[in-house]
Amino acid sequence: MLGDLLPFVVAGIVSGSLYGLAGLGLVLTYRTSGVFNFGYGAIAAAAAFAFYTLHDSHGLAWPLAALIVVVGFAVVVGPLLELVTRILVGAPDALVIVATVGILLGLEGYLYKQYGDSTIAFPQFLPTSGFTVSGVQITWAQVISTGVAVVGAVGINIFLRTTRSGVSMRAVVDNPRLVRLGGERPERIRLLGWALGAGAAAISGILLAPVLNLDVNLLTLLVVQALGACAIGLFRSLPLTFVGGLAVGVSAALATKWITRPPLNGLPAAMPFVILVVVLLVVRRSQLPESRASLAGLIAPVRSGLSRAANTAVAAVGAAVLVIVPWVVGTKLPVWIAAMGYFVLFASLSLLVWGSGQISLCHAAFVGLGATTLGHLTHAGVPWPVALVLSGLLTMPAGALVAIPAIRLSGIYLALATLGFGIVMQDIVFGSFLMFGSNAEVTASRPSFGFISQSDRSLYYVALAVAVLCAAAVIVIYRSRFGRFLRAMAETPLMLRSQGLSVNMTRLCVVCLSAFLAGISGGLLITQVGTVSGVTFGSVQSLLYVVVLGICGTRLIRSPVIAALLLGVLPGYAHINLDTQTLTFGIVAIAAALIQARRDALSVAIGRLAATSDRRQPPVRRAGPAPRLRTRREVEVKT
Amino acid sequence: MSDGLRISDLTVAYGGNVVVSKLSLAAATGEITGLIGPNGAGKTTIFNVCSGLVRPRSGSVRLLGRDVTRTSPARRAQLGLGRSFQRIELCTAMTVRENVEIGLEARQAGLNPLRHFGMARGSRASVATRVSDAIERCGLSASADHVVATLPTGRRRLVELARVLASDFSMLLLDEPSSGLDDAETAVFADILTSTVADLGTGILLVEHDMSLVMKVCQQIHVIDFGTLIFSGTPAQVQKSEAVRAAYLGAESVEAVS
Ligand SMILES: Nc1ncnc2c1ncn2[C@@H]1O[C@H](COP(=O)(O)OP(=O)(O)OP(=O)(O)O)[C@@H](O)[C@H]1O
Ligand SMILES: [Mg+2]
Repeated sequence: MLGDLLPFVVAGIVSGSLYGLAGLGLVLTYRTSGVFNFGYGAIAAAAAFAFYTLHDSHGLAWPLAALIVVVGFAVVVGPLLELVTRILVGAPDALVIVATVGILLGLEGYLYKQYGDSTIAFPQFLPTSGFTVSGVQITWAQVISTGVAVVGAVGINIFLRTTRSGVSMRAVVDNPRLVRLGGERPERIRLLGWALGAGAAAISGILLAPVLNLDVNLLTLLVVQALGACAIGLFRSLPLTFVGGLAVGVSAALATKWITRPPLNGLPAAMPFVILVVVLLVVRRSQLPESRASLAGLIAPVRSGLSRAANTAVAAVGAAVLVIVPWVVGTKLPVWIAAMGYFVLFASLSLLVWGSGQISLCHAAFVGLGATTLGHLTHAGVPWPVALVLSGLLTMPAGALVAIPAIRLSGIYLALATLGFGIVMQDIVFGSFLMFGSNAEVTASRPSFGFISQSDRSLYYVALAVAVLCAAAVIVIYRSRFGRFLRAMAETPLMLRSQGLSVNMTRLCVVCLSAFLAGISGGLLITQVGTVSGVTFGSVQSLLYVVVLGICGTRLIRSPVIAALLLGVLPGYAHINLDTQTLTFGIVAIAAALIQARRDALSVAIGRLAATSDRRQPPVRRAGPAPRLRTRREVEVKT
Repeated sequence: MSDGLRISDLTVAYGGNVVVSKLSLAAATGEITGLIGPNGAGKTTIFNVCSGLVRPRSGSVRLLGRDVTRTSPARRAQLGLGRSFQRIELCTAMTVRENVEIGLEARQAGLNPLRHFGMARGSRASVATRVSDAIERCGLSASADHVVATLPTGRRRLVELARVLASDFSMLLLDEPSSGLDDAETAVFADILTSTVADLGTGILLVEHDMSLVMKVCQQIHVIDFGTLIFSGTPAQVQKSEAVRAAYLGAESVEAVS
């Protein structure tokens, strides 16, 4: 019995030690810089590809190729990340998330472009001969790989304990506030952290590649699975993170042995995220290191902006254009129908992110749930309008599940928990009869009732009507008492609680509302395409949604409109290759986040100047509910 | 004078660090009770325990005769306990009026999801009058439509006061509400407190470093040091107490007032 398990344990230890090393680098950089790098896995993937090019394409010996890649990543990627961090200092979590997810998408897009979408076989470069211990075949490759990971982890620990820079760095990891006390310059510590982190990512990427082969997506997400390790170390303890990596590796390997049948056969792959989600749900918030400035303040309304009349004019022109679209765009109409679906999707995200200061990295799962629900219902003969409403309503329970982390967590941890939730959904629920089932795809029929036919033109007007209704709903919600609670909650939930409001109820409501709208958007999208499969709603899509919304600014309605044009309409006209699109979005996201972060500081500096020169400003009225970026810290008064 | 807030045998620890030990004190409705002590004595911690933000290691909190030791912050507020914060908690992007309004609305909405989305018929007008009353009472009428971010600290504290006054609590915890106010404003502030208690019968537990204000408005004063109660009495008794003098006030500051 035990003999059966041993091979799995060995395989688990091999990959687990690499997760551990990757997790170690991730925690190290998070603690020294305050920036949680969602692009960490992509960096590991890039390293694996660089190694592949040097070793397999150019025939460099593997030790040399590995050395070049690891050192190269440490000295090139490290300083680049430090530069990004320097610009992001003091920026709220949302911007940091957009910027680092931008790194992820940019690198992923680049790798796909460069190396193609298909998985490249990556032969094991280490010696594959081996020996047998109590019936278990162990290869030298496994020994070397684990050895390197352990040496890397121990090396980092020794460095942190013996060298001067290392000791100050360890102090910062334990308590980031100490950074200025030791007389060490924070930039230096951060730079060192990023270099070590990039090196660790490169090592684990190179060593994982032979196990997984060169699949961009798998590598990107698998090293992000180091998150499971980080969670066990509570994002704080380096040794525990390494142990956590081993635990993740072994439990995932054992899960592959025991769980082989659907629907749970996706579980092994999702294991690190299951661990992540469980840890985030179980530990007390105070046990996790404090995340940065909250999303609060992002939604501070602008003081000026367009006047009411100008707003109305823009809306009227927009409405006129939308009404005549089917008569002018010709064969491109499907693109515009899809744009309506995307608009509802982004409106749902905008309500959540800009409206209430929470974040969701699992929106694609909601959209997918809505889409499949509509498909199943129309199949069962439910009239389309009823099915659409139901696809929204039936997505709400998933929203309620996500509300649990939303109630307990905020900032980066909420982002991670929702990311984990999305991946768990994708790996476990997508394959079930509730969603795509064993066919892996779902079809939906179009609405046809009364004077509405199945033509594109009819569908366009139906979709337009739904989108307008959803926009109106979002505006009404945002202006209602509930919307005011949301805005206040983003800045000071403490005040609301002390005034007697159950903010958990508020959070539950907003996440459910957002899920409802996401479900509706899924219904619209599937109706337009006709048939969808699970890959359309993967977790990378969720990341893409957040990034695109981030690029389009922080307005409640305007940003979703622009985002829908960008993601729905633009690709229909400019025949951009998908990888180029991902790459571009990634780069633009990084740039947008960095500009936002600086513009913020700039506008605050100007505001401060104005405030000191003129104390008695005229009464300032807000012009509508349009949100704009401002970090909380900058308008806070120290007491 | 009836029982407002009563803390018995309270012990609070952060990690292993005991910051309040075996402390009992009471504050009645219809009067102002002072809670004073040097920096770090544990005053804010006691407030946090009263409002449910910090779990005590042992001891109990009774609000209007009802044991609330285990209830949530929101529930305690529903039962009539309001508070202001030493680190001001306001929506800086909203106007003064909106801040006061949202406080009252939060109190009305409570746990009921339906009330989250709208208010009962006819209550809109009464909300508006209560908000205006509170704003006027705190002397903020002129800046009612100013965005809070543009106000100096002292005014912001008044906005917090207006918020809790509008929300019709029976017991208020005010944490250093007068810091940031100048002398003239402090005098006005003292009048606001006394007139509120006289008009509405609210009870106030007041943490304050401004001794002349405390001596002027309080009927009863509790003095704490290192998390334990070292003296309770009227302002006159506090000024005479050797223990208080030694622990905290320093000879001059007491004499300056008397
Ligand atoms: N969250 C916390 N974690 C650990 N220790 C804390 C925490 N909050 C307060 N303390 C400690 O508890 C003690 C009491 O703090 P508290 O804020 O209650 O004092 P205070 O009387 O309000 O002081 P002040 O007059 O400066 O406002 C202090 O020693 C403080 O360092
Ligand atoms: Mg205090």
